[in-house]
Amino acid sequence: MHEMSIATGLLESVLEAAAANDGGRVEQVELEIGAMRLVVPEALEMAWSIVSAETPAAGSVIKTTEIPIKARCRACGNVFSPEIADFLCRECLRADVEILEGDDIILKAIVCEGDEGTDSP
Amino acid sequence: MKINVVKSVLDASDTLARANRRRMDEANVLCINVLSAPGSGKTSLLQKSLPLLGESVRSAVLVGDLQTTRDAERLRDAAAQVTQINTGRGCHLSPEQVAEGLDGLDLPAVDFLFIENVGNMVCPAAFDLGEHLRAVLLSVPEGDDKVAKYPTLFQKADVILLTKVDLIGVLEYDLGRLGDDLSRINTAAPLIHVSNQTGEGLDAWLAWLREQKA
Repeated sequence: MHEMSIATGLLESVLEAAAANDGGRVEQVELEIGAMRLVVPEALEMAWSIVSAETPAAGSVIKTTEIPIKARCRACGNVFSPEIADFLCRECLRADVEILEGDDIILKAIVCEGDEGTDSP
Repeated sequence: MKINVVKSVLDASDTLARANRRRMDEANVLCINVLSAPGSGKTSLLQKSLPLLGESVRSAVLVGDLQTTRDAERLRDAAAQVTQINTGRGCHLSPEQVAEGLDGLDLPAVDFLFIENVGNMVCPAAFDLGEHLRAVLLSVPEGDDKVAKYPTLFQKADVILLTKVDLIGVLEYDLGRLGDDLSRINTAAPLIHVSNQTGEGLDAWLAWLREQKA
C-alpha cells in the first residue's frame, strides 16, 4: 500500500499547482505512472480520497495512464521495452538493464473549477 | 480550467534520498538497503555476519518495522550503532525517516550502514532511501518462484541472498527454477547461498561487502 505515500506526495504537488494558478476547487488530476512502480489504480484512488479530504482537492477524480517500461541493456547498449517480469536482452541474452522510462510518477495536469470552461480536449 | 504541470510526484522523496546519499558520501559510509519479505532472515543475517567483519570495521544499522524495538535489541551486540525506526502503519521506510535516523548516528564513525527495510516485497522496492546498493533476500521456505512473482524488487538488486539453504532437502526447492527466473530478471547481481544456522555462505556475503567498499 505504498499508494498512500504516493498520494501524500501528489497532494502537495496538486495543491501547489492549484494555488500558483489561482485555481479553485480541483476537479481532476492527470497522472502518468510508470509500470515499474507497481501502483494499483484502485488503491491510489482510495488513498487519494483519504489524503485529499477537507482540502481544495477533495472529491477530485484521478485519471491515470500507465507508462510502459523502456530499458537499456548495460551489457550491450540495446534499448528495448521489457515486460515487467522479463528484462532479458534479446541481443546479448543478459538481464542487466538501466530503466529509462516507466520508473516515474508524473503529475501531468490538473483541472480546476473555473468559469472559462476550457476543458481538456 | 486545465493547468499543465508535468512534475514528478517523487521529486520530494528523491531529493531527500539524494541528500541522504550525499551525507553518507561525505562521511565515507557505504549504505546498503536490505530488502525482503518478513521472516526471510534480514535481522539474523546482520546479527550473524556483522561481527565477522572484524573489529576494525564499524557497522551501523537502521532497522524499520511497523512496531516494537525487538530487531534493534537483537542487533545491539552485532553493530556499534543501531537505531530502530517504527513506521506505525507505513509499509516501507521513507527517505525522511532515514534522514532522521542518520541524525541520530555518529556517521564519521561508520564504515557500513545497513538499512533493514520493513519486510515487504512490493512497497520498499519503489523508494530510493539514499542507499548505494541493494541487497535482496529470499528464503527457501518462501518457495522457488519468488523472483518471478516480485520482479521489480529483484531487478533492482545488487546482490541476492538465498537464505535458509540448510532447509533445501527438507523442503522441496528447485534451484534450477530460481536460476531460470533470475536469468530473465537480473544476471548482474551475484546470487549467494547462505544459512544463518550453519554459517554457510556468510564468508561470500562478507567478501561481497568488502569488495564494494574497496
